[in-house]
Amino acid sequence: MIEFKNVSKTFDGKKKVEAVKNVNLKINDGEIFGIVGYSGAGKSTLIRLVNQLEKVTEGSILIDGVDVVKLKGKDLIKERQNIGMIFQHFNLLWSKTVLENIAFPLEIAHVDKKTRLEKAKAMAIEVGLEEKMNVYPSSLSGGQKQRVAIARALVLNPKILLCDEATSALDPKTTEDILDLLKKINQKYHITILMITHQMETVQKICHRLAVMALGEVVEVNTVDNIFTDPKEELTKQLIQTVDTGLDVKKMATNLKEKYPDGHLLRITFENKNSEEPILYEIINKLNIPINIVSANIKNTQAGALGVMYIHIKMRSDIGIVLEEFAKYGVKAEVI
Amino acid sequence: MAEIFETLKEPIYETLYLTFVPLLLSVIFGFIIGTIIFITASDTAIIDTSKSPLLRIINRIADALVNIFRSIPYLILLIWVLPITNALTGSMIGAASAVPSLVFSATPFFARMVVIAFKEIDKGTIEASKALGANTFQIIFKVLIEESKPALISGITVTAINLVSYSAMAGAVGAGGLGFEAFQYGLARHDNEMMLITTILIVILVFIIQITGDLLCKKVDKR
Repeated sequence: MIEFKNVSKTFDGKKKVEAVKNVNLKINDGEIFGIVGYSGAGKSTLIRLVNQLEKVTEGSILIDGVDVVKLKGKDLIKERQNIGMIFQHFNLLWSKTVLENIAFPLEIAHVDKKTRLEKAKAMAIEVGLEEKMNVYPSSLSGGQKQRVAIARALVLNPKILLCDEATSALDPKTTEDILDLLKKINQKYHITILMITHQMETVQKICHRLAVMALGEVVEVNTVDNIFTDPKEELTKQLIQTVDTGLDVKKMATNLKEKYPDGHLLRITFENKNSEEPILYEIINKLNIPINIVSANIKNTQAGALGVMYIHIKMRSDIGIVLEEFAKYGVKAEVI
Repeated sequence: MAEIFETLKEPIYETLYLTFVPLLLSVIFGFIIGTIIFITASDTAIIDTSKSPLLRIINRIADALVNIFRSIPYLILLIWVLPITNALTGSMIGAASAVPSLVFSATPFFARMVVIAFKEIDKGTIEASKALGANTFQIIFKVLIEESKPALISGITVTAINLVSYSAMAGAVGAGGLGFEAFQYGLARHDNEMMLITTILIVILVFIIQITGDLLCKKVDKR
């Protein structure tokens, strides 16, 4: 378990920057935990505190009860070997082959050459790079480079894997592949994954729980399903709306409001249990209202399928009746 | 012709000596000083210098020394170093006596090359190595050197070529070598043939160093 206790980090410089402010978080063993927020929210700093690439200004970070903040020298290096890390720009050693890169953590941990090559080979096969073991990173694609980085991060069998915007430099298809790989690794080795990203899609696909960060503070923590069906904070709503439609929902709502002052834009979320019923059809029939579907899609999360639909009702003063009707079917509807 | 080469055998040997012995020493000392400057710099993030004023002072002093010694023209440095030369070698003339001044001149130059080479390394690579459990010593020898090999080889090449030209200058004031020959025959006796031959030999030496450096550089560059 990783436990952040009143963690703060302030950068002293010409201008003081409070990058992380009084963060309290508990991340369970074997969990994929996401931290989301816009750039400058303090996510990068927060994740670097876990393996002490940055030192905290205040607070403690317990990993299985050990406060890593207090670790120094050899003890810190030992702890870092228990925490793998991958990065947005892969950060491979270009002077080493794929196999040598994967074996690098073993090399610095003084494992003998034969054992480390064996382990590195097994790891290369695990991440699907058996064909590329003896080439240099410069000849690899972005996705392959990230696979090397993942293999390198896992070769010491760490308990925790930190992902710093690991898919942000990759195209959508490659992102999907890398996320699948991370999911597989999480299930197979029961490794705890802590990932930071500004992409809500990434979090939604593989995370069990997530925290939303803004201006150095954690503003909301919940399971992915709850965040998507029932976001509490304004920032969370904004973040998930961009994922829902790929559109700027706020702008869309304003435009519709101008055209149809009496109209209403609704965000409706369907969960697994009711995603197969013709709910919309029944409501249209019963209330006899014209409904325009603005956007609709289904997302796969760790907990199952999640349907999100944006509908627009042109004229309806008694919108409450519509919301009640949705509620009867156990569907969450929210006026935007 | 054969007679000329017979005369030049000793000077050629001296020039090679005046280039490669100081080169070896300057590369060792320059590497140590350059590495100290790099890892104690506050923006490198290899060791945390924010809580150690001592490291910051070391960084400032090393940096200042490199800048000062690089600013002194070789001919002037040569004269400044003469007492040290005398103490070390017991003589102020001869090939060995030029070695200290050449080392004094080339070391800060190569140290600066080392700093530049290390600065070219992506900070993310250093950060990743730290995250994977590397200590400072391992970062220097397994990451910094390995990842900056092409730049370090270029640095050694340029330093060697500088030493060839400085050795000619040292030669003129008594260290021997091709520079001394050119000085003696060309300036004192107006022997143009000898001037030309010594010049060509020096140019050939520089070319050999440059080409070897470029080939090695290309060989280790896997980017």
